[in-house]
Amino acid sequence: MAQYVLMFVGSDEWRQTRSKEEIQRGYAAVGKWWEELSKKGVLKGGEELAKGPGTATTVRRVNGQMKVFDGPFIESKEQVGGFAMIEATDLDAAIAIAKSWPGGDVEVRPIVVH
Amino acid sequence: MAKYAFLFIDDGVDYQASPTPEQQAVYGEIFKWFETNGSRIVDGGAELQPTRTATTIRHRNGKATVTDGPFIEAKESVGGFTIFELPDREAAIALAKTWPGHAVEVRSLVEQRDEHDVPADLARR
Repeated sequence: MAQYVLMFVGSDEWRQTRSKEEIQRGYAAVGKWWEELSKKGVLKGGEELAKGPGTATTVRRVNGQMKVFDGPFIESKEQVGGFAMIEATDLDAAIAIAKSWPGGDVEVRPIVVH
Repeated sequence: MAKYAFLFIDDGVDYQASPTPEQQAVYGEIFKWFETNGSRIVDGGAELQPTRTATTIRHRNGKATVTDGPFIEAKESVGGFTIFELPDREAAIALAKTWPGHAVEVRSLVEQRDEHDVPADLARR
């Protein structure tokens, strides 16, 4: 078995433009996905990152000094919104799990084993 | 106290391929940084393999497409993450400033939810 990180990416538009009921249904689907994979032992943990103003600060080395900037590391509509750590037999299996994510887009990355 | 996700941002250096002595030194300092700050870590998270190993799944019009590469092609990319428990954002930023690597994105976590399991900021709408 190998370990992978699923990074959930997307814009905040979805949450801003949908009705409260749609958002609740979306979160319910995500909750179910999470619970089922946890029970199977596939999902080893993860977090949802807060979105919106004041929730991201980037500290970056500029000319050897660490400087503080508001916002995520990259100016883009798409941002990392959360992640999950999973165990899968191989990359294909990890991709299949990522495809079943009921949220939005997903970046799959193998992790470094120390 | 609150939890913060530190997203460690790489500047395109592939530490696994052929690191220069300088890059190897930074890697050593990063190792020490984790030892020094270990008591404040609530989830060790993960170090990610370089972006050349990334696969992105996009959902469009009900169809999933699989492509090689990260979700956004840029020089900088997420190289790993760790969850810390710290007094406040100021403390998180102060700690991020001591990171020996290139950059850190400090993110708040969604910890509070209402009875419908929706983040507190959405539940208030």
